[in-house]
Amino acid sequence: MRWVTWEQVGVDRMACAWLILKHIDPQAEFLFVPAGHTPLPEGAEPFDIPGVRLSHHRGHCTFYTMVRAYHLSDPILDRIARIVDEADTVQDVMVEPVSPGLDLITRGIRLISPDDQTALARGKLIYDALYAQLTTEPA
Amino acid sequence: MQQQETPSWVLLIYKIPREPTALRATVWRKLKRLGALLLHDAVWLLPATPWTREQMQWLAVEIFELGGEAYVWESRELLVGQEQALVQQFQARVDTVYQEILAELEQEDADLLALSRKYQHTRTQDYFHSVLGQQVRATLLAARGGREA
Repeated sequence: MRWVTWEQVGVDRMACAWLILKHIDPQAEFLFVPAGHTPLPEGAEPFDIPGVRLSHHRGHCTFYTMVRAYHLSDPILDRIARIVDEADTVQDVMVEPVSPGLDLITRGIRLISPDDQTALARGKLIYDALYAQLTTEPA
Repeated sequence: MQQQETPSWVLLIYKIPREPTALRATVWRKLKRLGALLLHDAVWLLPATPWTREQMQWLAVEIFELGGEAYVWESRELLVGQEQALVQQFQARVDTVYQEILAELEQEDADLLALSRKYQHTRTQDYFHSVLGQQVRATLLAARGGREA
């Protein structure tokens, strides 16, 4: 299946791509369009674009939306959703100190990557690592 | 958050149903958290950076979902000289907090952890890189018994 999002991926989109490959569509192919570009390519599921189904809702990030939309019940994924919420959006409550660091690191990954495709692939390592570490500690 | 040569600004104008009050307050708190400046009780203003553009855009989406209306614009000033006054307002706000931290750091029993958090929080709103912020950082680092960064 094909998935489409805006260019210049960051903390939320790297997390989403990781989630898609791991839990939703292992054969996923990602397409990128410039921010604000319309129409979106046909036959591709859009994500993290304002107004689409898989996007920010009620102040939550797209990763949070996707965990719920695909009924992935895993407390570690919920925890990552909270972390990405705090990294990617303004929150009036902050309980995850790792968030600002994760935001910086994922921005840095995009900076040192030649394109978004590569950035998503590299981001995978970060989220595999985060997931693994979180399983070792209590929420 | 780099400042461009000619700064531009992100503006948010919104209207939201009066009830429920909690939801209205959430939007308000987020704008305060971003350090946005409220002009004439109508327009919320932030210096435009990729991050502030994105945050204002998502906030607008949230306002739509709450049944409200929102417009987000990016603009540059036309009247020369007003920009500096706006920048000063942004700076004055963070500098006030930085001054408070410096004053508290002079106390014998200053709560260093709480003051560090206050500094970190303020820094996220320090869009124009106040010199006082660097001073707070150095003073905090010196206070914990370490060397100045």
